[in-house]
Amino acid sequence: MILVAVVAFFAAACTPTSDSNTDQGVVEVFGPFRGEDAAKFAATVAPFEEETGIDVRYVGAGSFVQNIQQRVADADYPDVALFPQPALLRDMAAQGALVPVPDEVASRFLADVPGAVIGEAGGVLYGIWFRAAAKSLVWYRPDVFEARGYTVPKTWGELVALSQVMKSDGVAPWCLSMESFGSTGWVGTDWIEDIVLREQGVDVFDGWVAGDVLFSSSEITQAFATFGAIVNDTGSVLGGTNRILNVPWQRAADPMFDAEPACMMQKQASFWVPDASLGTVFGENFDFFILPGVTAAPAPVLVSGDIAGAFNDRPEVAAFMEFLAGPDAGVGWASRGGFISPHPEFDPADYIFDVDRKVGQTILDAPSLRFDGSDLMPSVVGTDAFWEGIRDFIRTGIFPAAEIDEAFPRPALFNDG
Amino acid sequence: MSSDQTPSGTFSDPPALTLWNRVREREEWTDEERQHILDDLFPEDHNVVHYVKRFAALLILSTTIAAFGLVANSAAVVIGAMLVAPLMTPMLALAASLVYGEMRRFMGSVALIVVGTGAAIVVGWLVAFFASGSLTATALDSEILARTSPSLLDLGIAIAAGLAGGYVLTHKGSGSSLPGVAIAVALVPPLATVGVTLNLGSTDLASGALLLYTTNLIAIVLSASVVMMASGFVPDHVRLIAKGRFGVRLLPWAVALLVVAVPLAVHTQAVIREEAFTRVVTQSVAEWDPRASLLDVSTELSTGRSTVEVTVATTSDSKRPAWELAKLIADKEGVDVDVEVTFQTAESDASSTS
Repeated sequence: MILVAVVAFFAAACTPTSDSNTDQGVVEVFGPFRGEDAAKFAATVAPFEEETGIDVRYVGAGSFVQNIQQRVADADYPDVALFPQPALLRDMAAQGALVPVPDEVASRFLADVPGAVIGEAGGVLYGIWFRAAAKSLVWYRPDVFEARGYTVPKTWGELVALSQVMKSDGVAPWCLSMESFGSTGWVGTDWIEDIVLREQGVDVFDGWVAGDVLFSSSEITQAFATFGAIVNDTGSVLGGTNRILNVPWQRAADPMFDAEPACMMQKQASFWVPDASLGTVFGENFDFFILPGVTAAPAPVLVSGDIAGAFNDRPEVAAFMEFLAGPDAGVGWASRGGFISPHPEFDPADYIFDVDRKVGQTILDAPSLRFDGSDLMPSVVGTDAFWEGIRDFIRTGIFPAAEIDEAFPRPALFNDG
Repeated sequence: MSSDQTPSGTFSDPPALTLWNRVREREEWTDEERQHILDDLFPEDHNVVHYVKRFAALLILSTTIAAFGLVANSAAVVIGAMLVAPLMTPMLALAASLVYGEMRRFMGSVALIVVGTGAAIVVGWLVAFFASGSLTATALDSEILARTSPSLLDLGIAIAAGLAGGYVLTHKGSGSSLPGVAIAVALVPPLATVGVTLNLGSTDLASGALLLYTTNLIAIVLSASVVMMASGFVPDHVRLIAKGRFGVRLLPWAVALLVVAVPLAVHTQAVIREEAFTRVVTQSVAEWDPRASLLDVSTELSTGRSTVEVTVATTSDSKRPAWELAKLIADKEGVDVDVEVTFQTAESDASSTS
């Protein structure tokens, strides 16, 4: 018997070709963006290259997480890596592989950018959070809400009441599905995190992410009860358990755009946008509101994004980190779509899409920001047991909290999230 | 060379004419010889209907054969179609009417070629309509693809074949060589390709095949005309009367040749760059992982981002990450690349019980 195993990796490399002045130095950047996104990243750094004469060479890898771990193990460091998960950045800072952001840049960045603290490890800023996504968004159709006389809820209580009205109108309140290959479950961890932030506040959230507040604590089990009232309730989610687990998360809200919409709301991050082929126009037949809090006070916003960390402290590398920390990082990307800047001085006119502009403003207006908790937890929980627990919860209504507490490595390396 | 050749040129001849006479192999043709050749090319008036019927039948049949051969990706069948194809005759006739300056026959030949060209494309389209099966424009076989991206090589072939065609025509005895000319510079298979690819919805591929056909058409007419002129096939009284105008008549064809040469040259350059890029990729793979053997490589060089897909056989413990290969290629070539590596590890396991 012959077994043929086929494994595919993807990678992209960018070498800006305009180089009359490479003598100013070369910065090698390693990240997860490939194809179109690699080109957009190149467009982002082009103004920096023009201004400084420094040549930024970007290499993007489909297996970025494994590849960067291997490179660090081999001491084959890039100058800068773009981490999609802060936990990985913190690991590498703890290993002593990363160099801190220069003091002056760090203090300005921490002062300017809300949420900048996500790049800290052990009280020192190692990472520049240069690209953001907002997760606490509820997507809906303004045209359908208006036609049916629904109003955007301001509190969790109003949200529950609205859901009851929708159910009695014979339509499912929620479009919710989470199939995502080996990562199925993350849509649910986002839900739980958003509920913990709303019901318990940022301090409990921080303690939970750090491992100090247990999954089996009353605070966290309460969040599961709240989530369960939606996902385990007949008629609240279109298609029930089967659809939740088996329909790709990207397709979850397709029925929202049917001629006779079959579901009314979807909680999903800003990196989701409805398929243009569904005939969507932002502000007319799709928009979002922030998942409301217990009271009408503005709720915290859960975010994620990409964080740049430097492995070398040469002047050109420091200059590049300073550029990423500034308000102009990402202009070339935002003008092509798919980039949200966390920087308050980023010019909103640079967003090509209105929806991107509104997401950017939502992040800036948030009373507090918290980074995706499962991305911060040790990966054995955050990108494994927690996901699996969510799948169990959808299927059985029981979350294996004690098992996950058991699996949670303690003490966590840094508890300052 | 014939024995009755007269001394080439006189003292009063201008140098160009002296040269001309040297190039000519024979001074004198008999009217019978000329008539015999012209009879081969042009139907006599009472025979026109028969000629057109035969032309139509052979054209439809040869295109059908060619289109089936293309769909089936059979080189032998496509070559068979070339031998049945009747388009070479009106093209040589067109060349002859050009050098003779005969407007009526010229227009007749043009009409026949235009109608034949259109008919062949339609037949190719119809065959693909009924028989293309699972064929799609994105996954075509070599026989079709070979006819959709002509280069300067094709122009060279067409010129040489046109010269050969003119030579064969004016040097009887070697007449059996005409099928060779038809194979070297095929007319019907490119037209069948145009029809097939149009049916598959790819105007890009169809225009490539049409460019090949146009190249062949122009080169054959032009070079056959030159050979006919040079071989003394045209009687002196015709040639002398029309002397000044021969160049004028040929000028549009020469210009057309230059016009088709532009896209051919552009494409040739692209092919050369593509091949050089593939070499760079192959070298990079060897550098990237000397233990990996390259099973397949496919590249697409573009001004924005180039794409590279390679399949390598490795042992599972020696896999190198794709980004290293991407970086090597980007550094060597100075282009942005998207690289996809497929690893194949062959492992076997066996067991028997009794």
